[in-house]
Amino acid sequence: MAAIQDDLSMNLEAGGVAPDVRPDTPVKDPVQWMKENLFSSVGNALLTGVFVAVLGGLLWWFVGLVFKDSNDWDAVATNIRLLFSFNYPAEQYIRVWFSLGMLLGAVSLTAAFFDINPSMSVRKLGINASGLGATSLIVGVLPATPSGARIVFLIIGALFLAAGVGTLQAVDEPHKKFVSFPTMLLTFGLSVVAFAWLVPIGRNEFANGAVIDEGGFANPSTKIPWTIMMAILVGVYFLARAVKPMLPVKPVQTFLITFWVAGPAFLIFLVLRDPTFDYDRVLKVDIPWAIGFAVVGGAILYWLTKPMLGEIGRLVAVALLGVAVLNWVAAFFGWWSMLQKTRVSFLVLALFALAAPTFAGEKSARVRYVGAWVAVVALGHWLITGINTTSTLDIAAPPFLGGFTISLVIFYYVMLVSFPLGAIMALARTSTLPIFRVMATVYIEFIRGIPLITVLFFFSSMVSLFLPNGMDLSELAAIFIGYTLFSAAYVAENIRGGLQSVRRGQFEASDALGLTTSQRTIFVVLPQALRVSIPNLVGQAIATFKETSLIFIVGAFDFLRVANVSIASQPDYLGQNLVGLLFVSAVYWVFAYSMSRASRSLETKLGVGSR
Amino acid sequence: MTASFTDPNAALSPELAARDDMINCRGVKKWFGDFQALKGVDLTVKDREVMVVLGPSGSGKSTLIRCINRLEVHQEGDITVDGIELTNDLRNIDKIRSEVGMVFQQFNLFPHLTVLDNITLAPIWVRKKARVEAEATARALLERVGIPEQADKFPGQLSGGQQQRVAIARSLAMEPKIMLFDEPTSALDPEMISEVLDVMKGLADSGMTMVVVTHEMGFAREVADRLVFMEEGNVVEINEPGAFFTNPNSDRTKLFLSQIL
Ligand SMILES: Nc1ncnc2c1ncn2[C@@H]1O[C@H](COP(=O)(O)OP(=O)(O)OP(=O)(O)O)[C@@H](O)[C@H]1O
Ligand SMILES: [Mg+2]
Repeated sequence: MAAIQDDLSMNLEAGGVAPDVRPDTPVKDPVQWMKENLFSSVGNALLTGVFVAVLGGLLWWFVGLVFKDSNDWDAVATNIRLLFSFNYPAEQYIRVWFSLGMLLGAVSLTAAFFDINPSMSVRKLGINASGLGATSLIVGVLPATPSGARIVFLIIGALFLAAGVGTLQAVDEPHKKFVSFPTMLLTFGLSVVAFAWLVPIGRNEFANGAVIDEGGFANPSTKIPWTIMMAILVGVYFLARAVKPMLPVKPVQTFLITFWVAGPAFLIFLVLRDPTFDYDRVLKVDIPWAIGFAVVGGAILYWLTKPMLGEIGRLVAVALLGVAVLNWVAAFFGWWSMLQKTRVSFLVLALFALAAPTFAGEKSARVRYVGAWVAVVALGHWLITGINTTSTLDIAAPPFLGGFTISLVIFYYVMLVSFPLGAIMALARTSTLPIFRVMATVYIEFIRGIPLITVLFFFSSMVSLFLPNGMDLSELAAIFIGYTLFSAAYVAENIRGGLQSVRRGQFEASDALGLTTSQRTIFVVLPQALRVSIPNLVGQAIATFKETSLIFIVGAFDFLRVANVSIASQPDYLGQNLVGLLFVSAVYWVFAYSMSRASRSLETKLGVGSR
Repeated sequence: MTASFTDPNAALSPELAARDDMINCRGVKKWFGDFQALKGVDLTVKDREVMVVLGPSGSGKSTLIRCINRLEVHQEGDITVDGIELTNDLRNIDKIRSEVGMVFQQFNLFPHLTVLDNITLAPIWVRKKARVEAEATARALLERVGIPEQADKFPGQLSGGQQQRVAIARSLAMEPKIMLFDEPTSALDPEMISEVLDVMKGLADSGMTMVVVTHEMGFAREVADRLVFMEEGNVVEINEPGAFFTNPNSDRTKLFLSQIL
């Protein structure tokens, strides 16, 4: 594209004739469009009729389901907090808002610094608004709608339809004008704030076993935080765009990627969990250990990244790996005790050492590699110390997270860990070394042959039986491990498909340039394979997200269990399962649909399929 | 004339004869399954020599030069590059690959990296150069191949001729002693061929040792020190350009030339 434009401008400069502007595909008027597409023949008209009837019937039935007389939507409204954050104590809720604020700020920073700005044509906006309005009007006139809601649906429908059609009429060439991302973001923020302050949704709360349910406006404890959240979302975005020209973009991007990988753990374990650090022990034990690992490990890695170190470097790395593995074996059989984080640190150090030859280079590259190690040690030790420190939260039923939060957290971590694991497995499966190939194939095919629910049951109930005394695994951790191992097999298959699409010439060019096998894999093959795999990987991520509801069955207090069991057994809302299920479906749908939309625009941006 | 016309040292000018050997192939044989693609090739390329390899399709030209940097593994015979023998020893292979650059018919640029990153990738990670230094070299090379303004584009945004020039720059960034070209202009539109050939001529003038598989007879006549004609896995004739085109030794060569000229 850019090349073509250059050619054009060159032609012009050279005195060429300006090329004709490409004629627009005319935008058809809706009546014309319907004639051509829906009623083009008797058969087509008949099909359209049948289809509309079926669709109308379904909508009728669904509206009836939502407004069934026995439904008490207060069950959801009163329990919103339970649904989203389970038993998290109300007086500590500032921690939840803080975490959400951090995440929203990070979203805005990411959008600004990675130039993510999806835009929508005015035409599409108009059509969507009209469609929404029309649907709302139809719901308004359906007999199943109760009279109180009817008027709301009719008003909203009329407003949207008028706005949509009005926009399409008022703007000429609406398919060529775009609503920019900042505008959309601002509109979104303002709508949320306006909704919180202006819509009389009532004050619903479930406190100390009794329902507080009064008409009027939402609590200030809901309105004010949401206003602040939206201010962060919008404000950080505009601020970031303003300062971006003055900042080095690469380091900020690195920081953001680090935040998305490590940040949630900090929010969960250090902010939401609020551990009480024993500062005496931190000073005497934790910090010295961390410094020790950072310094000694850093020195070893600095030496290992020396170019042309040869065989000795590999020997040292393998020896380190041996020590690391031995520590875990020792823990398993109880030979000697050791701080958990020491074991983890040895393992990570060994992995860094094994990868060192790939990243060997001149001084600044080596310093950067050591820097990455020091950062990992600092963050990792802080986190592990935090996790191993008792929490101040006084919660009756652990775990301290539940509801939608736990579903989201499980999803996030399953994806985060199964991704690299799956990539490694895919590489192993396509490796030329038979042991790797056989091991990876057996693993992948074995996992893909058993249902997820079996894996979850196995990990939630069986694994702790096999663990030696003194080593225990919380149920949630066990579920997480099982789910990750399951998901990794599918990720591996998706990435393998991408690996196979990388052309032979890419391998040959890398070899001819003298890249080592691992350099070839990391810098040339994997990036291209991942890019091709994006659509499949996102599809799988969406499936993983929805299937987090299966942890319900192994007893976790996830979104679904809270809706279907916890709420439906409250004395006030006994048997209110339907509203809960409808609500859960709606939330899952919004998230899954957003993900699939986001992936589609990502595909377009990366040019997948149009190479 | 004592030496036969397939003697690896045939048709050497006294000046070339006095130079060191850069590439030495002795009795190189290569099979793909049961099919023998090289049937005992003897070839010597001198320091700073430009050797052009000609021959009909399937005669083993690509296979031969791909054996020189170990993209293909030969089964019999010896290949020595700048005094390093090509064996299964990985260290020798690495050493040879870092001395030998290769340019492919299909360019094989890395589509996910910008032009600049394509060129700096290997210097940074294989030669262990500092990024700043590698980028400076890369920009100088882009200047040399005539496209300094394309540094930040992606390969997919360039024309074929521009892509092939980037590929040449990418190889040169490794500061090779030898450059192998496998039909570098065959995938190009006619109007782009000359821009690539010009770069190659400049390279030859600067004293690079080059082995070029090509069908561009004009280039062969003008630039080559010697020409090699291959057929069915054998070297049929080695000659200097004047004699090769006007008075070839082998009847096979005559037939080939009559078909293409
Ligand atoms: N990977 C391979 N597997 C099997 N046979 C091969 C392979 N590569 C090449 N061959 C065969 O070896 C012979 C020589 O091939 P090569 O590519 O070297 O020919 P070439 O002289 O370069 O021809 P062209 O001008 O078409 O490029 C051909 O018959 C080809 O079919
Ligand atoms: Mg060939």
